[in-house]
Amino acid sequence: MVLVDIRETKSVKASDIFLQIRPGKDFEVITILRALVKEQPVDESQVQETGLTLEQLQDFVDRMKKAKFGVFFFGMGLSMTRGKHMNSAALLTLAAELNAFTKFVAMPMRGHGNVTGADVIMRWQTGYPFAIQFGRGYPRYNPGEFSTVDLLVRGDVDAALILGADPGATMPQPAIDHLARIPTICLDPKVTHTSRLSRVHITTAATGISAPGTGYRMDEVPLPLRPALKSPYPTDEQVVRRIHEAVLKKPDWLQQGNRMALNQV
Amino acid sequence: MSQVTLRLKQTPDVPLEAENITPDVLSDLPHDEIRALKLQLGKRTFRIDEFFEVEGERSDQVELHGDLKRVKWLGRGMTRGRLVVHGDTGMHLGALMKGGEIDVHGSAGDWVGAEMKGGLIHVRGDAGGQVGAAYRGATVGMKNGTILIDGCAGLETGMRMKKGTIVVGGVVKDFGGLQMKGGNIVMLSGAEIRTGAWMVRGTIISMLPLKLLPTFRYSCDYNPGFLTLFARQLNRLGVSLPVSAAAGVYQLFSGDCSVPGKGEILVWQPH
Repeated sequence: MVLVDIRETKSVKASDIFLQIRPGKDFEVITILRALVKEQPVDESQVQETGLTLEQLQDFVDRMKKAKFGVFFFGMGLSMTRGKHMNSAALLTLAAELNAFTKFVAMPMRGHGNVTGADVIMRWQTGYPFAIQFGRGYPRYNPGEFSTVDLLVRGDVDAALILGADPGATMPQPAIDHLARIPTICLDPKVTHTSRLSRVHITTAATGISAPGTGYRMDEVPLPLRPALKSPYPTDEQVVRRIHEAVLKKPDWLQQGNRMALNQV
Repeated sequence: MSQVTLRLKQTPDVPLEAENITPDVLSDLPHDEIRALKLQLGKRTFRIDEFFEVEGERSDQVELHGDLKRVKWLGRGMTRGRLVVHGDTGMHLGALMKGGEIDVHGSAGDWVGAEMKGGLIHVRGDAGGQVGAAYRGATVGMKNGTILIDGCAGLETGMRMKKGTIVVGGVVKDFGGLQMKGGNIVMLSGAEIRTGAWMVRGTIISMLPLKLLPTFRYSCDYNPGFLTLFARQLNRLGVSLPVSAAAGVYQLFSGDCSVPGKGEILVWQPH
């Protein structure tokens, strides 16, 4: 196991090789690796700036090529530094290109909650994993334009329904400010940063503890969850269904052709 | 000369999608039908005259006034005429356009001239990210045409562009010319980091030294012959490039060898 990080973490003990890179050099390192995989020359003086030597990287590439089945596990640190999605894109491209030599995959290490589940369901329902706009009755995808954090930072939405997440604790301040400004509805079993700033907080049963549901494992295997306890609160699904039924009773302001989209929900 | 003038009454709360505001649509319509054209606000459609004061009819000379930061898709796919905007515009300005001219006296949002095939876009202020880029999932960005940005440009300028010219007067943010496949990007005030990342072909010309990726190699100092012609062409658009060997020389860097690509980055070095 090769561990790549900017500092010595507890995982170092479990790893065979530890490569400590300088903060914010993810994209550079992966781009150098892509070049080395194809046996292309790299400017050695600039390699030093990443915190690693060319020998270390060449050795890493040789090991990856020799592996029978390699996997990159990558965490959120990759996409939170300068370069953001392009750092992840770089790693995915490297994994794709290594398949010219051996079997290689890349798998994101998920954060808390059922993040994989949200991605998987959105994908088979709409074709896209996130940042989807339904305004015209069909899904449109454009991260940067329709992604939650960008919409909130620009102030492009005038209402929000937050479900199974706590953006009030993780998003940048302008996004949090906008959530507090607009009517925000929060569905959560507990009191969270988001529930405190939202106009309405509906307490729901905790999925997996007092409500049934499906959790998706990091490798996209669905796991049914059986509740151990009973809850006086409704589940997330019941609340959303009841909101939807109430909305359907409202007078119709949709244009022709969009009715279909509504009835399919 | 007749023209259609649209004045924004007030800035909408959420983005307004206005792909109908193009010279192609407005040039054939009488006044009443222009007023009845549709705009998309959130999930609902509205008439243009609910948001804009409309003057004039049947003209491909269109003038817009007001703070249009939340108005998207202006001049989408236009093929002719002229669109002048006095104020800032929203995303997708002149996306997919094939001809004609857009002149913005203000700043523009992301995706200016995305996947455009021809025509001229001039933004006098700053532009957002993905200027002349390919939409997510598409392999090719702008295929021809010219984009002039007087101010700064955002992330991923010219991403996957195949042909055409982008000139940026201010600083270009990270990933300028990302995965470029052809065409030219001129950076008159240099760029931040990762310029030309993963470029396959194409030319990036910078007037200031750049911090390049380790996968770019210095090749030589020279004064390329084609630049004389290119500078003459840009001169007509009000952009001047130094070409005289007496004044300086261009450093050529080639890459990005991680692809491996045959792109070139020319960095001006005055004597």
